[in-house]
Amino acid sequence: MQNYGSNNDLDEKGQVMTDQPKIKVKFEPKPKPSACPICTIEYYQKFFDIEQRDVYMRVRCSLLSWKPEFQQCVAKNPDLWGPLWISTTIIFILFAGGNLSRFLLEEDKKHFQYEYNYMYVAVFLVYAMAFVIPIILGFIMKYILKSELGVFDVVCMYGYSLSVYIFVLILCIIPYNEAQWFFLMSGLANSTIFLLVNLWDFMKKSKPTLMIAIPIIVFNVALILCFKFYFFRLIYAVDD
Amino acid sequence: MDYTNQRPPQNYSQMDDQKTQDLEESVSETIMRDLKMIAYKLKYVLIPKEQEDNGKELRNWDLWGPLIFCLVLAMTLSFKAESTTTSTKSDVFAIIFVLIWVGAFIVTLNAQLLGGKVSFFQSVCLLGYCVFPINIEAIIIAFFGSYLPFLVKLIPVFLCFAWSAYSSVGFMASLVPPHKKKLAVYPVFLFYLFLSWFSLIV
Repeated sequence: MQNYGSNNDLDEKGQVMTDQPKIKVKFEPKPKPSACPICTIEYYQKFFDIEQRDVYMRVRCSLLSWKPEFQQCVAKNPDLWGPLWISTTIIFILFAGGNLSRFLLEEDKKHFQYEYNYMYVAVFLVYAMAFVIPIILGFIMKYILKSELGVFDVVCMYGYSLSVYIFVLILCIIPYNEAQWFFLMSGLANSTIFLLVNLWDFMKKSKPTLMIAIPIIVFNVALILCFKFYFFRLIYAVDD
Repeated sequence: MDYTNQRPPQNYSQMDDQKTQDLEESVSETIMRDLKMIAYKLKYVLIPKEQEDNGKELRNWDLWGPLIFCLVLAMTLSFKAESTTTSTKSDVFAIIFVLIWVGAFIVTLNAQLLGGKVSFFQSVCLLGYCVFPINIEAIIIAFFGSYLPFLVKLIPVFLCFAWSAYSSVGFMASLVPPHKKKLAVYPVFLFYLFLSWFSLIV
């Protein structure tokens, strides 16, 4: 019988039979070796081989950033689920929260103009921080500085380092300048300390590897400056 | 015979007869037949009681329904979007259109990467059909939003979001192994939250 749908079969009552042994489907063609292995789904499936519990533990590791436990948490199984969905959540919070923060400050609430550019800028900024920068850094670390960490380990670490911003950016909706700076600074500290602490083993080897700390700090600072001065800028009424 | 990409013949016993009849019938009959299929699938997806055969009807996926709902939503919201220039209206239309299709693509890809063995278009079809409650909510807010206080507006928004999410979560959760269910379901929740938020604010 051809199996088009879900792999979990349903019994007569419509309940999912989870202890059903996987039935080998006879009609499935053997996957051909692809010319571009990095383009196939199978290549990336190994980065989604995690459970709910693992994601929770990794986020917890990243929030308790001063403990260098992340590599133990990951246990040679870096995932891409975390970085992808944490960054997408942050994009949503930036778009919704940034506009909400402006709305709360606005006096003329009936004619509030939503800024849709927030969406484009948020997508660009967050995905650059979560993927582009760690990929470049990972390549430099692996191929120039000869680290044991792979590119995807660095991407995974960067992705989870952003998890603190989910809470920070929600709190930044409060339209008080000092409060926003306080939350952003604590987010910056948490995120940067997490990255530095977990890369310390690699960085302490030599002077050039220590230099890697500089771009990490610079990009994190640039990120929160963008958050503050673009998404959560407070426009005070000008007295004429 | 492989029926997954074709509508099941309704009144005719032979496929050849079906094709000849398709060419001979009037345009309005063809359109009505397609609309009836869409309405049937919509009822099937959104009202769980209708699912007596446990989701097998979804194997006859189509993308017309999702396209119609996506266009209606994008047009409703861009029509409602206040702007002094046309750029905001087209911004909104583009954002909603891209959000729905790219969002459905990424959510489905996520389920596949987590190990779910599902036809890609089947899942996109389901996610597209579940956008229908968001459509209802967008139309309610578009016509009555200016007369209602904010808190009252939240009620239909929340109810429609819950309806969309509930309809699609059952299917998505059944695709992946039990310990990965929340990982497959969270993106669905985020997807409909994005769309609901848009229909609320515009």
